[in-house]
Amino acid sequence: MTVRELLEKIKQKAEIEDSKEDLGVLNAYVKPSSLRSLLIYMRDSLGFDWMSFMTALDMPQENTIEAVYELFSNSSKDSARIKVKLSRQAAEVETVSDIYRTAEWHEREAAEMFGITFKNHPHPENLILTPDIKAPLRKDFSGGDMKRMPE
Amino acid sequence: MNGVDNELIKKIPGAPVIMTSVEWAINASRANSLWTVTFGLRCCAIEMMHTGGTKTDWSRFGFEVPAASPRRADVMVVAGTVSKKMAPVVKRLYEQMPGPKYVMAMGACAISGGPFIYDSYSVVMGVDKLIPVDVYIPGCPPRPEALIDGFIKLQKKIMAQKIRK
Ligand code: SF4
Repeated sequence: MTVRELLEKIKQKAEIEDSKEDLGVLNAYVKPSSLRSLLIYMRDSLGFDWMSFMTALDMPQENTIEAVYELFSNSSKDSARIKVKLSRQAAEVETVSDIYRTAEWHEREAAEMFGITFKNHPHPENLILTPDIKAPLRKDFSGGDMKRMPE
Repeated sequence: MNGVDNELIKKIPGAPVIMTSVEWAINASRANSLWTVTFGLRCCAIEMMHTGGTKTDWSRFGFEVPAASPRRADVMVVAGTVSKKMAPVVKRLYEQMPGPKYVMAMGACAISGGPFIYDSYSVVMGVDKLIPVDVYIPGCPPRPEALIDGFIKLQKKIMAQKIRK
């Protein structure tokens, strides 16, 4: 499936805010409300049976946090990258851990590292960090004894 | 034996007896049977394992076996990056060791935080923030020779201890 065909297909199922091709992989920004239905459709109908990873990006200039879901199809060897934009102040999105089991731990990591709340997550506690460190991978994190690199 | 001053051992001629000072005998026993808690936390641990291996074999100098439990160890080798999550464990194992106990900070990370000194949210900036350190071994990672040198420095320190206050 080419990137264009894939985009046409998912456009009928979800609200795509923006999309681009990056090194032959589709990057599609979807509305958070249609994320779950889109992933279920891609898993069941388009053969994307594998989630490689789920992570997040902090974009302080745009005041957004992007949650990134990288999907892979074992049958057609296609990849696709689905992103949702969340506000930095109230970063909240539905969990997809019941659709792809991979997302369970990855969402816990993204949650503790970026301060995202995954609604209905089965285990919302921290995965790695101690509870006193909050969202250290946000660009404006400063906490405890952390020293900034001199300019 | 390492660092033995010949003056201190006197053999009585014609009898299987030697005479020496209590201080020297105790210190020498301590210095030459140091059991280690090998606290391998990161890449420095690989170099520490190599030091214990056949090629550089630290048992030759009396550091003996790595102890299976801190309760029967004398020296803790902190080899690597101490993260904030690991810090309570380091402290707890140190407290479980019976005295007299010694700590060696191996590598830049254990000395000062090393490569993680800036922009790090999770690293303790030197194990001496948690527990007292006797010998610092610089390097990233220190070579096995450097670790053995550190051990010999520690033995010298032990030999210089006074029993009477
Ligand atoms: S000092 Fe260097 S080699 Fe040792 S643990 Fe730190 S980074 Fe690794």
